[in-house]
Amino acid sequence: MIRLSGRLRSAVIIGLQGIRARKTRTLLSMISLFLGVLSVTVVQAASQMAQRAALADIELIEGVDGTLYMSVEGTPEATNATLRSLEGRTDATAITQFPAIIGEPNVRPVNEGGSPIDEQWGGWGWSGGSIRIECDPTGYCYEVIDEQYLQTPIGAAIELRVVGMSADIRQFRPFRLVTGQWLDFSADPSYSPGLVLNREAAKGFERYRVPAEMRIMGASDNPTPRILGVVEDGQRMPMAYARLDELLNWVNVGARPDPYYGGISLEVLVAPDATETLQILRANLAAAGIGDDRLYVRVIDSRRQVEQMMLILRVVFFGMAGLVLLIGVAGILNVTLATVGERVEEFALRRAVGTPRMLLAGIVLAETMITGLFTAAAAIGFAALVFTVAGPFLAEVHYSLASGSFPWEAAIAGVIAGLFAGVLGGLIPAVRAARIPIASVMRA
Amino acid sequence: MTPLVQLIGLTKTLRGQEQPRPILTGVDFTLHSGESVAILGRSGSGKSTLLSLIGLFDRPDGGQYLLDGQDITRISDAKAAALRSAQFGFVFQRFFLLKHLTAAQNVAMALVNGQGWLPRRQRREKVLAALDQVGIAHLAKHRPARLSGGEQQRVAIARALVREPRIILADEPTGALDTETGNLVVDTLRAATERGCALVLVTHDPDHAARMGRVLRLRDGVLHPEGVNAPSGGAAEWAGRPAGQAGGSSHEPRHARPAESEGVRA
Repeated sequence: MIRLSGRLRSAVIIGLQGIRARKTRTLLSMISLFLGVLSVTVVQAASQMAQRAALADIELIEGVDGTLYMSVEGTPEATNATLRSLEGRTDATAITQFPAIIGEPNVRPVNEGGSPIDEQWGGWGWSGGSIRIECDPTGYCYEVIDEQYLQTPIGAAIELRVVGMSADIRQFRPFRLVTGQWLDFSADPSYSPGLVLNREAAKGFERYRVPAEMRIMGASDNPTPRILGVVEDGQRMPMAYARLDELLNWVNVGARPDPYYGGISLEVLVAPDATETLQILRANLAAAGIGDDRLYVRVIDSRRQVEQMMLILRVVFFGMAGLVLLIGVAGILNVTLATVGERVEEFALRRAVGTPRMLLAGIVLAETMITGLFTAAAAIGFAALVFTVAGPFLAEVHYSLASGSFPWEAAIAGVIAGLFAGVLGGLIPAVRAARIPIASVMRA
Repeated sequence: MTPLVQLIGLTKTLRGQEQPRPILTGVDFTLHSGESVAILGRSGSGKSTLLSLIGLFDRPDGGQYLLDGQDITRISDAKAAALRSAQFGFVFQRFFLLKHLTAAQNVAMALVNGQGWLPRRQRREKVLAALDQVGIAHLAKHRPARLSGGEQQRVAIARALVREPRIILADEPTGALDTETGNLVVDTLRAATERGCALVLVTHDPDHAARMGRVLRLRDGVLHPEGVNAPSGGAAEWAGRPAGQAGGSSHEPRHARPAESEGVRA
């Protein structure tokens, strides 16, 4: 139990007695303060939820805070050194993307270029080598398109990007499983690569009946993939996730298979505490001739990015809530000043029996702060109720809001707002109470 | 023996009016433990001002105030509050009970004043003892509105006694009461002196003054001794006043004698 000092206890006891004696006035103060505290609570809750949603989105794409991101160039030496370093390790993952087309052979995909299913962004996408880049002796480069390719009809095929990973990526990018199952890294690699689609890719496969034949860049043959599940990955473009070792049964990552796309580069995500893995990786890369100057490394700070993004919005909305709170403070100040005016004899008497001036001020502040706390409790309760009722609707707005839990930060903001309003509204009356001369009793 | 209270040449001028008005021009006063003193004087003569100086409600303009031999004339506000809590009990003409509190809570007010902390049980015991001392322990849970004037004043006395003060300062405590109830209140205050507590009673009532051990009159800003009564507080040895002073009061004891001098008779 927290042991309060005698003066603090006295202030709280007398303050509570004062509140009990003047219930109507306390209620009036609470009413004047309610909207202010409620607005602060709601703004904090809303900004917290918006931040939660933005952070969830950015973490899906960028990664969780503290993750070390490394981009390794697409040379065979670098690729092999990286994959050798991370083999069997779970605290880091190497990921690489392959353009792929799943569906009928000898047709152009319905979303050429790998654009979202309902959008056509234009471009040729990955053409399986039918489009290439050629440069003249002056260094001017241009696309050369195979005439036969242009005659090829659009058929039942979907273009997407297949992301291969050496270990589970979800510790760094928390994809949410929508249906089916996630990749199993503990089993032996299969010759039939298991794919987990994102929502956009799943939309394509739901809409079109496509044969299970995958043309993948750098592969000598077309494997038959297995669709394992669907995840929410925050991407707009159709994507599929696969174990890298399963893809490597078909693809030579060290090769430069498509001059249009260039080589395959690797991205490495390393857990913040995986110092040993990082050391080994850097050492192996250095041994392969890839020094630190040829690596792009950064630590992911998604939260800061989101906070910066939200800062201006927060300032504006909190400013507005603060104004509403100030109106409430004016209300509680008004009521408390009137109350102190009526209690001159009481305060003088308390001073006569030995109560120090500071405690008299403390009594008034305790009353306004307790009133502020009561108001905060009411406002937080009301806001929590509204958020609970609105929970199902919020879940439709963003999946991260589906939990429907009222942010505790909003409750704290409400309590701070209540206490702040209590202090601000009670300060002047407290000073007045402390200045009441004892002679007020003697000459009464 | 060191007097409990000793005032030497205390002066006070009331300001904040059109013209400053000297109200106390050189008060000499001593008070010993267990002693009861009545202070008489006309309205506006400065009785309450004197009491407020003794009770550390206010500061004198000049002179010296010794409490237990210690000079406290220029004591700080915080120390004055601590001394008021520890050494003094106050009873006023109006009872100043807080109407939203019960009798017990009103008495407890003197204990919940930021000067030390008593656990609830001990506080309750002290409050009930104080109420019992003034004979109204059975009314502890009653709010002031349900108490008679005499009962309310006894609650106020219990509030003054609950911290077991060494000095009780009573400013016309019977002024708002009928004679019979007033006598009862004075009896209650007198009973406190029998336990070693000193009492200073400001009153207009010569009957009540007659029951104090010593009677002083405040005139022209100076205290004049009027007489010494029997230690029991009975009126038999009450010293008379100068002719014309507060004469004609229906409460004046029949056996009052003219004052012989400014001196104090044993």
